[in-house]
Amino acid sequence: MSIECLVLGAGQEVGKSCVVATIGGKRIMFDCGMHMGYHDHRHYPDFSRALTLWGASDFTTAISCIVITHLCRLVLCSHLDHIGALPYFTEVCGYHGPIYMTYPTKALAPFMLEDYRKVTMDRRGEEEQYSYEDILRCMKKVIPLDLKQTIHVDKDLVIRAYYAGHVLKPLPNSKVLGAAMIYAKVGDAAMVYTGDYNMTPDRHLGAAQIDHLKLDLLITESTYAKTIRDSRHAREREFLKAVHKCVSGGGKVLIPTFALGRAQELCMLLDDYWERMDLKVPIYFSAGLTIQANMYYKMLIGWTSQKIKDSHAVHNPFDFKHVCHFERSFINNPGPCVLFATPGMISGGFSLEAFKKWAPSEKNLITLPGYCVAGTVGHKLMSGKPARINLDKDTHIDVRCQIHQLAFSPHTDSKGIMDLIEFLSPKHVILVHGEKPQMAFLKERIESELGMPCYYPGNNESVSIPTTKNLKMSATERFITSCAAEQGKLRVHKGNLVCGASMPEVIGSAEDVDVAEGILLMDKRKAPKILCDDELVEVLGMERHLVQFEPMVSRIEASVQSELQRAKAADLGSEGNE
Amino acid sequence: MADPDVLSSAYPAAVSSSVRKHPVPLDDSLAASDGGPSFAKRPRAAAELPAPGGSAASPELDVRALVSLTTGIYPLARAEALRGLAEVVEKADASCSVGSGIVECSYESAVELMRDDDEGVRLAVVRLVGACAQKFSATVDVDANGYGDLMDMIFLQLSSMARDMCTQVRIEAFSALGKMQRVSEGVLLQSLSKKVIKTDTMCGSIINGQKLPPKLKIPCAAGVFSHGIEDEFYQVRTVTCKSLGALAKFSKQYAEKALDLLMDMMNDDTRAVRLQTLQALLQMATYGCLSVQEKHMHMFLGLLVDTSALIRDAARKILGLVTLPKLQMFKSAVDGLVTSLEKNPEEQDVYGILFSIGKNHGSFSANIAKHLAKEITMASDGELILDKPRIKALLIVSISAPFSNDKHKKLDIPSIIFSHAICLLGKISCALGEDVNQDLLLSYLCHKSGMPFWENRSISAEFGESESCNVQKMEIDAHMENPAKATKCLDETIVMQSMKAILETVEGTWNMRMSCNICEVRTILRTCKEELNVLAESSSGLIGAFLSFLCEYLDAIQLIIEIWQLIQLDNLYTFGLTSVDILLEKLDISIRRMECCFAGLNRELEVQVLELSLIAHLFRLSNIGVCKVVLGKLLWVINHLEGLCADGSYELSDFNGEIKKAFNDDLTGVNLISNIHTLFELFHPKPTTDFGMLKAITAVLQVSDNNSENPLLYVCGLPVGVSFNIFLRNISSHHKLWICMTIDEAEVQGALQELHYWFTWKACPMEKAEARTRWIEWHTGMWIDGDFSLP
Repeated sequence: MSIECLVLGAGQEVGKSCVVATIGGKRIMFDCGMHMGYHDHRHYPDFSRALTLWGASDFTTAISCIVITHLCRLVLCSHLDHIGALPYFTEVCGYHGPIYMTYPTKALAPFMLEDYRKVTMDRRGEEEQYSYEDILRCMKKVIPLDLKQTIHVDKDLVIRAYYAGHVLKPLPNSKVLGAAMIYAKVGDAAMVYTGDYNMTPDRHLGAAQIDHLKLDLLITESTYAKTIRDSRHAREREFLKAVHKCVSGGGKVLIPTFALGRAQELCMLLDDYWERMDLKVPIYFSAGLTIQANMYYKMLIGWTSQKIKDSHAVHNPFDFKHVCHFERSFINNPGPCVLFATPGMISGGFSLEAFKKWAPSEKNLITLPGYCVAGTVGHKLMSGKPARINLDKDTHIDVRCQIHQLAFSPHTDSKGIMDLIEFLSPKHVILVHGEKPQMAFLKERIESELGMPCYYPGNNESVSIPTTKNLKMSATERFITSCAAEQGKLRVHKGNLVCGASMPEVIGSAEDVDVAEGILLMDKRKAPKILCDDELVEVLGMERHLVQFEPMVSRIEASVQSELQRAKAADLGSEGNE
Repeated sequence: MADPDVLSSAYPAAVSSSVRKHPVPLDDSLAASDGGPSFAKRPRAAAELPAPGGSAASPELDVRALVSLTTGIYPLARAEALRGLAEVVEKADASCSVGSGIVECSYESAVELMRDDDEGVRLAVVRLVGACAQKFSATVDVDANGYGDLMDMIFLQLSSMARDMCTQVRIEAFSALGKMQRVSEGVLLQSLSKKVIKTDTMCGSIINGQKLPPKLKIPCAAGVFSHGIEDEFYQVRTVTCKSLGALAKFSKQYAEKALDLLMDMMNDDTRAVRLQTLQALLQMATYGCLSVQEKHMHMFLGLLVDTSALIRDAARKILGLVTLPKLQMFKSAVDGLVTSLEKNPEEQDVYGILFSIGKNHGSFSANIAKHLAKEITMASDGELILDKPRIKALLIVSISAPFSNDKHKKLDIPSIIFSHAICLLGKISCALGEDVNQDLLLSYLCHKSGMPFWENRSISAEFGESESCNVQKMEIDAHMENPAKATKCLDETIVMQSMKAILETVEGTWNMRMSCNICEVRTILRTCKEELNVLAESSSGLIGAFLSFLCEYLDAIQLIIEIWQLIQLDNLYTFGLTSVDILLEKLDISIRRMECCFAGLNRELEVQVLELSLIAHLFRLSNIGVCKVVLGKLLWVINHLEGLCADGSYELSDFNGEIKKAFNDDLTGVNLISNIHTLFELFHPKPTTDFGMLKAITAVLQVSDNNSENPLLYVCGLPVGVSFNIFLRNISSHHKLWICMTIDEAEVQGALQELHYWFTWKACPMEKAEARTRWIEWHTGMWIDGDFSLP
């Protein structure tokens, strides 16, 4: 028995995650992403090719289920690398089987997909791959999945989702919630597909959490196969220092941020600091952010970190003590303050308005998110501090304020990948979703340090992993008692000998393994069983024959049937001790 | 009896690789006693094993049984067996061969189970490995090279456990890491950095003849602590911080890097973690492995103004122990402490910390002292307020410089600092700890400040050395001295010293009465008197009485000088009331006050008073010529003096002797008057400081229930009752009270048409409470018409 693993997307590349694993005849498709870099047939995974490979007539019969680990927050130019191709696959290719994803993913997916569909239609003038109705129809087929909930897809196939931590996408600099690692099991063969995950918790979202499972295969992402991230603490410290310095000098701090995740994290950090330092400077949240924050909180309390889970019964942890509601007119108020405003790249909206007002004073501070799209004010500020920014022909902003860059944290780093692999200790590892040279580097590390065979197949390549087959067998009562008694005798004998002598040589040494002999009886109709020598005759309902060879050997005690059985057992190579 | 089928199917996971290697050992002794192989009972049986200490006969057997159980198929049984082993190991005496054998084989079986599927088993493994590590490090000879590697290996194994998914296991692993000893520096450093540090020494190290399994090379320990401090659970973070601090004593380089991580933890959102971090830092500081750098200062200063008093306190303690490399950092630390003091003035232990931080940085403190001295001299016109916490704090820092350990540098502290620091004596001595003798400290400060009249009782150099030994030993967090007690004791010392100083000045002034301008002498004496008055007001008891006695005495001296001046200027007999007459009268009153208003004058004081009255009589004689009455008084005084000194224990002064001689030679007194110059020359005021049991007889009259805020209410034309309290102190039964009520005519007359008053009084001798105090309550009734307000 083996696990066949066909990589349809994200093999030696980043984007369009799609892996189909065949375990014991069951096909599971993990993720169904699209690649944003291409606009031709490489845009989607090559489904039709897979179909011919499997020799199946349609996808519904070929694939048992689809599991989507998470979706990526959609902002311009972003990847929809784990879910993008799903409507295409279900509606265009005609897959009608079950689709699983977590609750947050299911809640957010239709908006993202529709958003994206519109963008590609408007901006690029591409031909429509699927319509809004397709998306809705597709989402109807989706079955939501809860963390650690075990789902029996059919008689043999079992899947379970584990918390994969918060996932940060480098491009939009915001967080993805609801990411999950998927455990799938058919019979004795088990595997885990990670999707994107993070092994390091942050202020309000926890780290990936998974049980110690017995795995034949682990398929893990490897985006940052070579990078090692430094601690977020240093970034936090720098940030607090800069903000504190600014407000104590009477300046204003503008924190342009995206709605979800990042703002909450920074705000928790600031609120805590304010509390400790007893600062009275107001922190403002612009209107849109507060509404979104509440939504975020209500929907996702189960996905947050332990501290928030612990405290949310007492009070809403996103109800910040030092945060006040912002009125548009406050923008001209004198005195220090901290303002969270959208959008994050100062491309327009309220953050641009505040920026226009505050940038000319050198007392003020602008903190920039880690990534800004080219052309936005944020990008201009990041690429060398300009003295003046021309918004359009008539508007110029003199930039004299200080600028602090907030580095974002990417997905899990190589240390996190290694830690997860080490913890799960699977028999084989497959790397996906990463650049080829880095994957090669990581493969080398996994094989040398952890001693596990590791593969990183390219797109449309397939890897076959052997699995273990466990054989259940029972032992008769007599067998157990007899061998237990025998061993006991042996041990007492040894113990008496050793008393007072140097012990460690005897205890725990390799020679101390006791061997019990028995007969394995395998019958097609019955479960395999281990017997004592003398039981066999009874079980088989035969008489014992005694054969004596006079001149050559003194005495051989055997029964023909038992000899036969022994030979059979040796062939199977599964002579058990029990 | 368990059905074999059920057993095998219920735990499919049990057929793990580790189990397969070891066939399930069935311990016969247990099985036999149970009367059958009841698997369900097994775990419990393991737990109920006799206490290892109790069954001294064969701990080996216990261990053997437990070790075999650790390879069982049931996770609970495995965990229980491991816990049993941990108990045995903890009690084992690892120095003997049997004990070390137990530890070793326990350790081996624990390592086998490090990757167990069950959380409980992994938890027990970590505990057992931790216990084994402690035993190893306690016994193993460091020189034995293999064992050094063994400790490293255990450290790495624990590190890999610290990345477990189970919170409990992580907590246990981190706390076990913190208890490790003799770990090599390379491994320690690696545990801080996620990036793998290339070292040649550790690659392919061989433990007990077997090569390290690939899992346990350094990479698995990489950055285990940086993961720990980022953990989602505050319990893990707390333990991590503790262990980070605990390991710092083994390596300087490690301590530096660990400090970076710990400083970041000060922004943690859980207070328990922050406190634990500070605790760890304090521990590092105590071991002297805390080297604060500039980038950490912002964090420290933030801690000093934290809203939590516990955190502030801990941060201060750390600052009191660290060594700061730069003057700028030192200054910002001092500023931070001052800000903290200003925000929380109740936290007086800041002064102690200021002192010790100043002491630790002698040259920096000297620098501060120089600037402070400049500031003091610049603002000498009263702008500098010593009450300001900042000035106080800077003074303490400046004062601490000479106590610092860097003796090789000559620290030059301006004397003005010392003179200003005298008022902070209480705070300084608190900062130094209780052992310091305040008198000694005071005399040291005074000596350093160059006060001219200070007695040379203690040699400053000696003080500096002997005390600095004391200072080195002192505990920073020693309990605060009882401030009230300190102040009282301080007051008495200071008062006595200043009194002596004043008296010395008076004597000096007496000597310059001839040469100098009378005005100057008068000014000096008046100033002395004022100072004495100030002292007298703030003191009570014997000293208070003596001080008021001295005031009178100085009064008399001043009068004598003035009279003498007049007599010298105008040595003619004049008639009528002259200024000399008035002064003489004043002198008489002054002397009479000294005689009557103080009880318990000792002989010395009495002699002093009598001498004064001798002078007074002499003056009177010279003023009015020979007069029988005055001569008679003079004779009485002389006789009295003689009587006082009759027993020979006290010698009469020359002045006395001469007067007596002159008087005996010529009873008419003419001789006295002609010799007045020579006689006067012989007089020297020698005020004693031995005041014995001197008590001031006083009477205080208070109008009760009447003050500026709640004045006595009355209605014009109606009688009003005014209560007086009269306190009499130190009166004896033969004293008589004479009360004279006068109404200031000028003030009252216009408004007051009629004033009737009557008294009822009761005298309550308060024998028990205050023996010599009598309290008399007066009730005065008055009719008052018109506008009249009581004072």
